[in-house]
Amino acid sequence: MYDVFLFAVLPYLAIVVAVIGGVHRYRTNRFSYSTLSSQLLENRRLFWGSVPWHYGIVVVLLAHMIGFLVPGMWSSLTSTPTALYTVELIGFAFGFAALIGLCVLIVRRFTTERILAVTSPMDGILLVALLVQVALGFWVSLAYRWGADWYIDTAVPWLISLVSLNPQTHYVSALPLPVKAHMLTGFLVISLFPFSRLVHLIMFPFWYLWRPYQIQIRNTVRSAH
Amino acid sequence: MSKKPLASWRFMPVVALATTAIWAALPTVANAADAAAGKKLFDDKTCSACHSIGGGDLVGPDLKDVTKKRPAEWLHEWISKPDAMIAKKDPVAVELLGKYNGMEMPNLGLSTAEVDNIIAFLETGGGGGSSAAAAPALKGDAEKGKDLFTGNDRFANGGPPCMACHSTGGLGAFGGGALAPDLTTVAKRLGGASGLSSWLAGLPTPTMKAVWTKQPPTPQERADVAAFLAQEGLAVRSASAIWQLAGLTGLGAVILLLIAGFRWRNRLKFGVRRPMMATPTTGRSTGPYHGGWFTGMYSDGWIGRFKGTDGNSNRPRGRTNAPRRH
Repeated sequence: MYDVFLFAVLPYLAIVVAVIGGVHRYRTNRFSYSTLSSQLLENRRLFWGSVPWHYGIVVVLLAHMIGFLVPGMWSSLTSTPTALYTVELIGFAFGFAALIGLCVLIVRRFTTERILAVTSPMDGILLVALLVQVALGFWVSLAYRWGADWYIDTAVPWLISLVSLNPQTHYVSALPLPVKAHMLTGFLVISLFPFSRLVHLIMFPFWYLWRPYQIQIRNTVRSAH
Repeated sequence: MSKKPLASWRFMPVVALATTAIWAALPTVANAADAAAGKKLFDDKTCSACHSIGGGDLVGPDLKDVTKKRPAEWLHEWISKPDAMIAKKDPVAVELLGKYNGMEMPNLGLSTAEVDNIIAFLETGGGGGSSAAAAPALKGDAEKGKDLFTGNDRFANGGPPCMACHSTGGLGAFGGGALAPDLTTVAKRLGGASGLSSWLAGLPTPTMKAVWTKQPPTPQERADVAAFLAQEGLAVRSASAIWQLAGLTGLGAVILLLIAGFRWRNRLKFGVRRPMMATPTTGRSTGPYHGGWFTGMYSDGWIGRFKGTDGNSNRPRGRTNAPRRH
C-alpha cells in the first residue's frame, strides 16, 4: 500500500514540483538561476570541496543516466566479472570523492564566517539532503553490490514504467530498505530543485568549453600608466 | 434524458437483455471450478517443481489427498497467500515450514478463481499426472552454468547474470553480489541440482519474479546453473569482499584528489584571483591578501603572470582575442 504512494505517486509529485517550480522561478526571478558562488569569499577550502564533489557526482550521475537511457549498452559493459569489477571500482572511487568533497563543502559552509554570512536555511537543507542521498548511494553500492548490474533489471524497468505513465512498483517493492530509501531521497532532491541553488544544474555554461580565454583587469588600480 | 442517438429508447430492450444475460452468466463462470484449467495452471506455474501428486515429498509435500487432509478454506488461503499466512504465524504453516527446511511456499499471485481451479484439480487426485513432472530431468553442464552465473555467457532471453545479486563459493576476485542471499549452500537446502532447477522455474521470490518474468531462463540454462551451484567444490563460502573494496575505493579517491591537486597546483600563485581579492588600491597591508606579498602589478599596468613589456611575452598564452598591448 505504502509502496504505491512511495514509488508510483511520490516520483510524479517530485517531478511536477520541480518543473512547475522551476518554470515559475524562471519567469518571476530569472537572475536567481545561479550557483550563488562564494569563491571570492573563500577559495582555499572551496577547491578541495567543489572539485572532488563535482567531478565525482557528475561521473556517478552520468552512470545512472546511461544505465537508464541505454540499458542494453550498459549491461553489455558490465557483462564479464572483470569488466563489472572495473566499472564498480571506478564508480566507488568517484562516488567516494564526491562524498569527501561534499563533507568538505559542508564543513566549509558552516565554519567559515564569511560563508556563513551568505548561507540561507535552504543551503543547509540541500546540503543535508545531498549528504543523505550520496551516503546512502555509496552504502548501497558497497553493501548491496553489484548495483551496476542489478540496477538495469530492477530500478531501470521501474523508472521506464514511470516515464511511460504506467508505474510498476513490483520491480522495486521487495528491494532492501536502504536501496528504496536511496530511490526516494533521489526524488526528494529533485523536488528541492526549484527552491535551492540546485537550479544551476540547468544553467551549466557549456559554451565555456569552446569560448576564448577572458582576461580580467581591475581598472581601479591607481598606478596603472 | 439525453438525446444522443446511442442512448435512444430503441436499444433499451437489447441493453436490458444483454445486461441480464451477463449477470446471469457471471456467477456460473466464477463458480465453475474447472479441474482442467487447474491442471494447466499446475503445469504453467510449475507447481510440480516442488510438489508431486502421489509421487512422494520433494522440496514441498506430496499433494495426494491434500484436499482431504486440510480444510478447504485453509487450503484456499494458503495457496493464495502463503507469505501472509507465514507472517501471521498460522500454526499449520509454521509446522510445514519446519518440516520442509524453512523453504517458504512462494506467493504465485493467483486469483480466487484460479485457486478454486487448482483445488478442483487437486481433488481429482492429479488425474493423468502432471506433464511437467513426466518430462525427463535435463542434465546440466556445470561449466556452462558457471559462465551463465558470472555473465561470461548471456542468458538466451536476456536477463542479468546471477552474480549481479548473488555470490557463491568458487568465484574470483571480489565474488558475486550482495543484494540477494549467498548461494553457496543453496543446492543442499533445495534437494540437489534437480530440486534447485525446479525451484528456479517457479521464480519464487518477489525480486526474482520481477526481474525474470518477462525474460525467463530456458530449462537447459536452469539446469546448467543448478549443476554449477550443486558442485562439491562450492562448499566453501566466499570471503566477504567489502573491506578490500573499501580499501581500493579509498585509494582510488585519493588518487583522484592527487590528480586534481597536481593539475591545479598553481591555482593560487598566478592569475587574477588573488590580485582581485587583494584590493590593491586600498594600500592597506594587513596580510598576504592585502597587498602584502603579491599585488600583481607590473610596470606596464599588467596584472599577474604576463610579465614584461617586449614582443609576445606580454600576451596571454593560448587562444585569445585579447589585443596586443604595448
